[in-house]
Amino acid sequence: MTKKKKVQSFWMWVIGSVTLRLILVYFPRNLNLSSRPEVSTPLTSLRRLAEGYWLKRSSMSPYAGSMYHGSPLLLTLLGPLTVTRIEGQPDQLLCSLVFVIADVISAILIRAAGKSLQAAYSSSLKVLGLHQLSENSEVLPSGDFAALVYLWNPFTIVACVGLSTSAIENLVVVLSLYGACKRLASLAAFGWVLATHLSLYPAILIIPLILLLGYGPDAPPRKLFQQRINLEVDNSSSSASSHLEEEVKDQSRVLKVFAWRPVVHFLIWILLWSSYVLVLCGIYIQKHGGLQELFKRTYGFILTIPDLSPNMGVLWYFFAEVFDFFRSFFLIVFHGNILLMIMPLALRLNHRPCFLAFVYIVISSLLKSYPSVGDSALYIGLLGLFSYELKDIPFSFLLFAGYVGVSLLSPVMHNLWIWRGTGNANFYYATGIAYALLQVHYVYPSSLNVQI
Amino acid sequence: MAEAKTHNNSNKPRPRLLKFLVMQIISHSTIVSVICFIAGIVALLLLPILAMNTYISENALMPGSANNMLSSHDVTVANKLVKDLADLKLRSNGSPIESRKLIAQYMLGLDAEVTYHNFYPQLNQFHPLHFFTSPDSSIISKNVSCASIGINTVGIIRAPRGDGKEAIVLVTPYNPKKVGSEDALSLGVAYSVFSLLSRVTWLAKDIIWLVADSQFGEYSSVSAWLREYQAPHFHRVVVNSETCNESSTMEGKLHSGFRRAGTMTVALVVKVAEEGNHFDDSLSIYAEASNGQMPNLDLINIVNYLAVHKQRLWMKVSKMESLLGSKWLNTLGVFFESMGQYARRLNPQWKFGIPANEYVEGTATLASSMYYQSLGVPTGPHGAFRDYQIDAITVEISPKVSPAKMNRHIDFILRYGRLIEGVVRSVNNLLEKFHHSYFLYLMTGPSKFVSVGYYMIPFALLAAPLPIVAASLHVFSSKTTPQAPGASEVDASLESWKWIYSARKVFVIHLWGVAISLLPYFLVQIPGLTPTTNLTAWGSLAVLSLVILYSILGYPTSGAVASGAEKREWTNLKSVTLTAVSIGLSLMSIINFATAEIGALLIVPFCLMARPLMLDIQARSMRTLLLATLNLALGFIAFPPSAFFLLKSAFGYSDGYNISDYWNWMESLWAWNSATYLYIGIVHLPCWALCIHILFHPC
Repeated sequence: MTKKKKVQSFWMWVIGSVTLRLILVYFPRNLNLSSRPEVSTPLTSLRRLAEGYWLKRSSMSPYAGSMYHGSPLLLTLLGPLTVTRIEGQPDQLLCSLVFVIADVISAILIRAAGKSLQAAYSSSLKVLGLHQLSENSEVLPSGDFAALVYLWNPFTIVACVGLSTSAIENLVVVLSLYGACKRLASLAAFGWVLATHLSLYPAILIIPLILLLGYGPDAPPRKLFQQRINLEVDNSSSSASSHLEEEVKDQSRVLKVFAWRPVVHFLIWILLWSSYVLVLCGIYIQKHGGLQELFKRTYGFILTIPDLSPNMGVLWYFFAEVFDFFRSFFLIVFHGNILLMIMPLALRLNHRPCFLAFVYIVISSLLKSYPSVGDSALYIGLLGLFSYELKDIPFSFLLFAGYVGVSLLSPVMHNLWIWRGTGNANFYYATGIAYALLQVHYVYPSSLNVQI
Repeated sequence: MAEAKTHNNSNKPRPRLLKFLVMQIISHSTIVSVICFIAGIVALLLLPILAMNTYISENALMPGSANNMLSSHDVTVANKLVKDLADLKLRSNGSPIESRKLIAQYMLGLDAEVTYHNFYPQLNQFHPLHFFTSPDSSIISKNVSCASIGINTVGIIRAPRGDGKEAIVLVTPYNPKKVGSEDALSLGVAYSVFSLLSRVTWLAKDIIWLVADSQFGEYSSVSAWLREYQAPHFHRVVVNSETCNESSTMEGKLHSGFRRAGTMTVALVVKVAEEGNHFDDSLSIYAEASNGQMPNLDLINIVNYLAVHKQRLWMKVSKMESLLGSKWLNTLGVFFESMGQYARRLNPQWKFGIPANEYVEGTATLASSMYYQSLGVPTGPHGAFRDYQIDAITVEISPKVSPAKMNRHIDFILRYGRLIEGVVRSVNNLLEKFHHSYFLYLMTGPSKFVSVGYYMIPFALLAAPLPIVAASLHVFSSKTTPQAPGASEVDASLESWKWIYSARKVFVIHLWGVAISLLPYFLVQIPGLTPTTNLTAWGSLAVLSLVILYSILGYPTSGAVASGAEKREWTNLKSVTLTAVSIGLSLMSIINFATAEIGALLIVPFCLMARPLMLDIQARSMRTLLLATLNLALGFIAFPPSAFFLLKSAFGYSDGYNISDYWNWMESLWAWNSATYLYIGIVHLPCWALCIHILFHPC
């Protein structure tokens, strides 16, 4: 009875968030969100995409000039929508609708993934004999919670209304996580290939995805299971009951061993999907320099950071200031920074692949070359999946106040610098640093809490 | 989980220094906040003493290094213009067409490019989001009659040495319907300079002389011209009379269409005051643009330097006259003076004391500077320039005798023409935009200022208690919540998320604030309402919506029985409110510092003190009753309308307490798109309402 009620209110909330988005879509000129540096980066701006589509239609390379740097697949998907206007409706209405739908689908996928995570977690707690804990963990519907956090997060709404393609990037990331949670190797591979193709950084998610497929969803550390089994074996040897022994055998099956089959399937699917995507892209861009040009203009643009226009990140200011002959050195340092953290985290959190994926996403959105609020929307939504484990996270209020403060401060500082001319770049960059600090503080206590 | 807890416990014996310090501050939050608040007020009062002397920061300016070249020939012709204008007034009873034509002819005589710029005044409209967007260039379609069109006359001199990429603007507001002798004199001063500049060889920037048609207000004509200059758009103005096309007689000589020079670097508005001051020739400077923005200090410095050192003029910036005679301020000045003397006796190197009368004057100037910045309404036509990042000031000349009775126009024009010439020549040397000196400052005298580094200290001290008390309340409430024995572990741990409920309340009240601030937009659409009825409607709608919100969300009313958990609820609510206030105030301090400072003075004590009256009444001791009365008094002071009237009477503007004044004041704020209006609606009022809610919380 209560469960049914909960579901009902969930759909009410979803409809409410969609309505809010649609209302906001009708005031684009007043809000002017799509020109905010926090929302649209050179990679995610729809205005650039429309420019790329225009170039392509006039049979030029979509990458001519330095306007568009996204995927050709997005061009074919969203490009025709950017030129379709409906009389009396706001421009880009169709694109906004696509983004709204993408947001809703991501939320539903997050919810489904959360449900399977929760089921797996409480069953493994039962195996450990912690019935009290498992009951408690079922009280919080973390899947519903995460989905609603994702939908109602102001960052998600702003990114969606501000016509940033990050809604679609987030969708494919969530899709791959969902596929891996449900052990659908083909779906996970599809999501991963597309996510990597669209924004490169999700490539590091291959480790949590493999762990997720190999070991199954998040569970307490394997050594706890080991202890438990040893304990049971001791007990059973003293009582020498065959019935108990059988039960122990059952439980030892629960003790996860790395399953190679889905992982191999996953890798094969990755090969298939990526060759498919490459062939499609190759056909699309055949006359304009081929795949080499594509890689140079998309991944090269992400990795070498040639566009130093201000954004929420910390890299633009740094690379605007650094001497040219140190540039490549620091490029390697900053990108290496992300790669350096992959291994230790994977070792520490290998029993919690979903959480590992979350930490990777936070780290990559922190050190990304062109971060936007859409990235934070994704990881804040995913954090909801671990609401049971994080229920007593310290400084939750401080973090909340910090996020509110920074997200209000950032446009004001930008205004002071760009429009009034009384401030300077340091003003805006200061909010970028504060934001980065917040993100570090966000991931650090939460990873302390989710060690077990 | 158990393992993690023991793991944490084993780490406990080594508390970190930072954590220790923070905990110390939080646990002594009361004393810390009292000290901070008092220190904030003291630091504010010390600002006139900490003020620095102005200095010219940009080396390229070199004011006064060249000799004045303004010759008697220029002045004589300028004087003739003044006389012609006066004759015209007598002859044709001030026909606007004739006087405009006369000015254009004089400009043409100097080989300037002359154009007319037609505009129709835009009514100030309420754009709630204007602050975050660029100046709009939307297409306007309007049916206007000929009479409501204003015509600016623009003359441009191309610089012989320049590349036409930069320009200096001279603005003289002038009303063609009613040419006063002061307007004619300011035209004469500008003409003399313009005439000189059309001959000189050193000019590196184009000169634009804008004779702004001020029949619809000085600001609107200048801003209309600037909008056309910077962000041209397509007016669909339908003029339903052909007689408007009056410039046909001079069509051959006038340039058609809108003419532009280069990027404007500096604009100077020259005005002559209507009344003589019977004392001495003096020069007033107005610099405040919208939302407390100031031009670069170097611009004021040049004018000040040239006026004082070259032309021997008396410089003035506006002062709060009522503060000059106040006794307590004088006592404070004497006290600070004696402190300074005492300090100097201890160590002759310490020079921080200033004479008492200087202190009083500095404080009066500072108060006025803060007042005009906090209003967010520009103090003159120069305000329009700041919206396009152009530094501009208004220079108002107040002569000894009133211009109507003045005999020796030539001396007057020569003296002030030389001043303007000096400023133009100095600015002409600029290689880049003004960027050396300060943009964020408060004036305490014509040659004294307080920079952002100093004036942020009092504000930071005032605002610092807010997060400290919020943190202490948060820690305190999460520690002492009694845990019901039957509650499951999830419920217990959800205690640490208790603030969510308070945050929701605070959010809803702030939404209410947003709705309240948008209400006047709809109220003014209804025609034929007096300010008093408007204000009453506004107030009653606000209260009504608040009551409806209360009944919908089921907030505890004073009659309801409070459960054990609700008793502590107010501490949570207060901590979230304090956080909201501190975020709001620090945001506002960046947008408009003066508003934030005044707002902090009003709301911070109330927010810090607020606690349920029931607690105080139940205790029934002298101290708590005193506390309760103090709370009520602070609540009264912080309420925006009462604060408005209290401040008005405190600064001696009490011309009767008419309630409609408040509406008019608010209307002027939103008509000028002042961020102060948004601050009052979105930060101040909701936080005040929340504190009142805490005050009447059932406990």
